[in-house]
Amino acid sequence: MMLLSHGSSAVRSRNLCLMVYLSLMFVTSHNLPDGSCNLKMTFRNFRLILSWELEKQSTVPTHYTLWYTVMSKTDDMEIIESCTNVTTPFCDVTDVWKQAHETYVLKVQGFRGKAMLFNCSSSTLSSNILYEPPEFEIVGFTDRINVIVKFPPIVPKIYGEEIQHHLLLFIKEESMGIVKMHEPKINGNTTGNFNYVIDNLIPNTNYCVSVYFKPKYLENRIQSSSKCTFLRLDQESESSEYAKISLIITVFSVVFVFLGTIILLKRIGYICLRDNFPKVLNFHNFVAQIFPGLPPTEAVNAVEVISVNKKKKVWDYNYDDDSDSDHEVALRPSAGGYTMHGLTSRLLSQVSAASQEPEMEGSEAEESDPYEAEPEPHPGPPTVPKPSPCHTSGPYERRESLCQDSFPEDNCSSAGGSGDRITFNVNLNSVFMRAPDDDDSEESPLVSSLPEEIINLEEDPDQMESSLLVASGERSQLLDLSPFSQCLWTEEDTPSDRSDTSDFDVDSGRDGYIMR
Amino acid sequence: MNNRCILQLALLLCFSTTALSLSYNLLRLQQFNSSVECQKLLEQLNGRPADCLSDRMDFKIPKEIKHPQQFQKEHAAFVIYEMLKDIFHVFKKGYSNPDWNNTIVTDLLSELHQQMDLLNTTVVEKLGEENKRQAYSMIILRLKSYYVRIRMYLEAKLYSSCAWTVVRDELYWNFSFINRLTDKFQN
Repeated sequence: MMLLSHGSSAVRSRNLCLMVYLSLMFVTSHNLPDGSCNLKMTFRNFRLILSWELEKQSTVPTHYTLWYTVMSKTDDMEIIESCTNVTTPFCDVTDVWKQAHETYVLKVQGFRGKAMLFNCSSSTLSSNILYEPPEFEIVGFTDRINVIVKFPPIVPKIYGEEIQHHLLLFIKEESMGIVKMHEPKINGNTTGNFNYVIDNLIPNTNYCVSVYFKPKYLENRIQSSSKCTFLRLDQESESSEYAKISLIITVFSVVFVFLGTIILLKRIGYICLRDNFPKVLNFHNFVAQIFPGLPPTEAVNAVEVISVNKKKKVWDYNYDDDSDSDHEVALRPSAGGYTMHGLTSRLLSQVSAASQEPEMEGSEAEESDPYEAEPEPHPGPPTVPKPSPCHTSGPYERRESLCQDSFPEDNCSSAGGSGDRITFNVNLNSVFMRAPDDDDSEESPLVSSLPEEIINLEEDPDQMESSLLVASGERSQLLDLSPFSQCLWTEEDTPSDRSDTSDFDVDSGRDGYIMR
Repeated sequence: MNNRCILQLALLLCFSTTALSLSYNLLRLQQFNSSVECQKLLEQLNGRPADCLSDRMDFKIPKEIKHPQQFQKEHAAFVIYEMLKDIFHVFKKGYSNPDWNNTIVTDLLSELHQQMDLLNTTVVEKLGEENKRQAYSMIILRLKSYYVRIRMYLEAKLYSSCAWTVVRDELYWNFSFINRLTDKFQN
């Protein structure tokens, strides 16, 4: 009996112990030391980071698992996949929590191996976020500071909404105890480097700048960091000079590399440069080609024309012998069969413009007349007919009629007359020339190729009124002298007389020359 | 005489417009401060939401309040006034929660009353009956139903601690919605 009682008591005690043990195990398994886990929501680098810390935790778990739900709905706890078995006491819930105005209830489980060390629950308001300041840089110039705030390349969101709905960006400028706040506007498109310039600053002054976020509808729960810079007076010029120097160095480097490459290629024969250039690329006489030299000057011989005024002999249809004898007396046959007559500038002007150079008709006469006239000083001073009618004609305008007179006191009414000399260029190939110093008897007129055209005026003077054929060595030119019939050579000063072409005055006794 | 009267009326209209715009800006700032103060007071009231998950309820606040789109200043002010008035009526029964500090409840009710009075004198009384009828649109009716649901929930839960915790949490976010409506004063 005693043995049975002892056995039964032992069994009961053992069962009791077992039950206590099991109950303790059961209780401990369900009432894990939750502790109080402090949850903290942080906005760091534009990401929502949920972190937690457990109080009075002797054993540090190796990994954690998070569950969550919201108070506005009756949904059950939901595991956060991105925060399952994380080894760190924080987790990125940016893409998980998309409810802005919500109370989130979290359950954090800490494990060490497979054993759960703790299980804590807590709630946090979505607005209860600690906004860490963004990264920024400042660049100081003479009178301004460029603040560069670094935003992520992708549009940041808070609870699925653009950040401008939740927070504001502030830039604080502080100097010498004076604080200024700047609020640059940010929106959903603000990505990358966000630049903001603080201008109208005082040079040679130290400025401290801090950038921070402020919740839109809550009081400041912020952190801020500041960076300081001293605005030097020559800070901007230095930076610009550095830029210029670097630019120059870069350009020179590029040019040097380019030239070196060209030279190297030429030396190794990859580039062959021609030495003999085409003629068109020959620029040795480039200047000479552009500015050709002046053509050789023509041989010019000065011819001195001496005007001799002779009385105009008007044929009065008198066939008396006296007139004939006068003509005969006036004529002086030349050795070459030419009659020398006096020549005035008028005759020169009668040469048409068709001939480049004036053709001197009867220049021999001109040459000889002075010599003929000289021994006859009595006839009076030769007068030169007024050349004014002649000078109205076009072709004759080229020649300035300068009256040259052996008698300086004569009135030279030539328009271009300056004094009593007439100077003009004469084509020696078209005129008969004789040197002024040659004797009359030895005269040998320089005739190149002038054909002899002897026109007997006496025979038919009427036919000669409008044409004078002058043959030169190379060409023959028909001169129409009818417009100039009034510009006849007159030995007397009768400039106003204008006679018809049929009434031209002809010196009598002319042989070979038509004198008008 | 007539010209003088017309001139006085014109000046009064101009100044009243300016005064009204200035008053809206001042009202906006005051409303922000009042909302922040009310939220602080609500946070001081005891209650752990994590312990009352079984007492949660979706009160279905109107979407126009949660995400306000287009609101005229006067209508936004009227909606805010109505919301404050209903919140006041809900927390008037807060003295029945033994876990709450009555001082905090008193401060909360006082803050709500001051803000309501300000809105009433600056905006609501100046609204004509026609404007009130326009303001009494579906939005106001749905808002009224929302607060009726809250009051009925409290009654059904017998004003328990968890029920008050859930209601406190719900009305905490009401002030965030009021802040978004207050932004319309800038229009």
